[in-house]
Amino acid sequence: SGAAHRPWRLFGAMCLLRLPRITQPLEKEEEEMAALMAQIELEKSHYSDHEIRKLEEEKQLKRRKESLYDEDEAPGKTVIMAQDLEEKWEQKFLRFKAAPRITDADKSNDRTSLNRKLDSNLMLLVKQKIGNQELWLLPQVEWQPGETLRNTAERAMATFMGDHIQAKILGNAPYGIYKYKFPRAIRTEDNVGAKVFFFKAFLQSSDLSQAKLKADHLWVTKKELGDYLKSEYLKKVNQFLLD
Amino acid sequence: QMALVQNQLLCSFSSCSSWLPQRVPLRGNHWQSSLLELRTSLPVRAQPKKKKKVDVKKEQAQKERMKKKIKKLEKAAPELIPIEDFITPLKYSESNRVRSLPALSPEESERRVLLLKKWSLFKQKQDEAEKKAIKALVESQQEALKELRLESEELYQAAIRRDEALFPFERDGPSYTPPLPGYDPPEGKCIDITKVYTQ
Repeated sequence: SGAAHRPWRLFGAMCLLRLPRITQPLEKEEEEMAALMAQIELEKSHYSDHEIRKLEEEKQLKRRKESLYDEDEAPGKTVIMAQDLEEKWEQKFLRFKAAPRITDADKSNDRTSLNRKLDSNLMLLVKQKIGNQELWLLPQVEWQPGETLRNTAERAMATFMGDHIQAKILGNAPYGIYKYKFPRAIRTEDNVGAKVFFFKAFLQSSDLSQAKLKADHLWVTKKELGDYLKSEYLKKVNQFLLD
Repeated sequence: QMALVQNQLLCSFSSCSSWLPQRVPLRGNHWQSSLLELRTSLPVRAQPKKKKKVDVKKEQAQKERMKKKIKKLEKAAPELIPIEDFITPLKYSESNRVRSLPALSPEESERRVLLLKKWSLFKQKQDEAEKKAIKALVESQQEALKELRLESEELYQAAIRRDEALFPFERDGPSYTPPLPGYDPPEGKCIDITKVYTQ
């Protein structure tokens, strides 16, 4: 198949996604529904052992306050009440400090950091030179004969991120295509334009300190892509990205 | 004296004893284990044979009975393993367990019904959006494969080949808060007390 001369140059590009690490905040309807479900569950349930113990202890306390004979109720012996246990648990819970959902990178809008926007997908964008322009693109590399397009995409990832990236590529087939014709000045009979095939991969390792990032790079969400990509390119990329 | 009498009798009847001296007592049968012993009882041969036959028959009958019992047990259907989740323990159906809450007001039930309707609409929109996104994804992939085929058949075949390393695909789901760096979880041992049934 090498004999037939194709007018289109082939490129393989990799869309590297960092998957979300925390849950997205609930919508208003979802919150209302969750509250209703909890209420219905409480109404339909029976008392648990802990609750029965609590009710009986409350009755005992009431009797003790009202009655005059409270000597027969185990004098001198301290009994742990269910209410005390609950307070102890509450205190323990309040002492624990969880990691914040909105990180420092979020506050400073540091788009090169991976710790930003932990509840959405982040995509890698690199600055590449196409023709005589510097553009923000998904990392891409030209296809060489003898390799499959998936290998081209892997090579693109390795070129920009270094070899120690652990990513799970989702299958052998491309997810999207961006076709463009070269400007008239460069266009010839055999070199009409280029076809960029996009592949998708999930980033497995969260620690990228070892990665040698050779060019300017950014990690952006789907909504922020519009700030960097050209409209036609963006349209094709948006088709295969699930928010 | 008895032995000598016996000796003479044996000497006259048995041919192998002709070369032996007269004085040595012979052991004519195996019931007389020592040469100097006097025979005190008659050799009983007939009884043991009867015992053997009856024993063998009895044993065989026993074996057959055991086999029949085993077959009967095997034919009976195996006992069903109870699903413990479906059996509520009796202590939870006592009357003191029933929760006492005020009854629902009509406004409350009205609000609930309206909320359920809003929820079903919300879920319908969510489902439609998901299906639309999946359709766009599939369309985009089909277009890419079509263009690839126009370019080169070989690359196309390599692209539509199944990726064996993709499945089983494992991923940890997101949590409410991100992992705390340097967190030391409390020590503890988990003892599994589930009952295991065998059929």
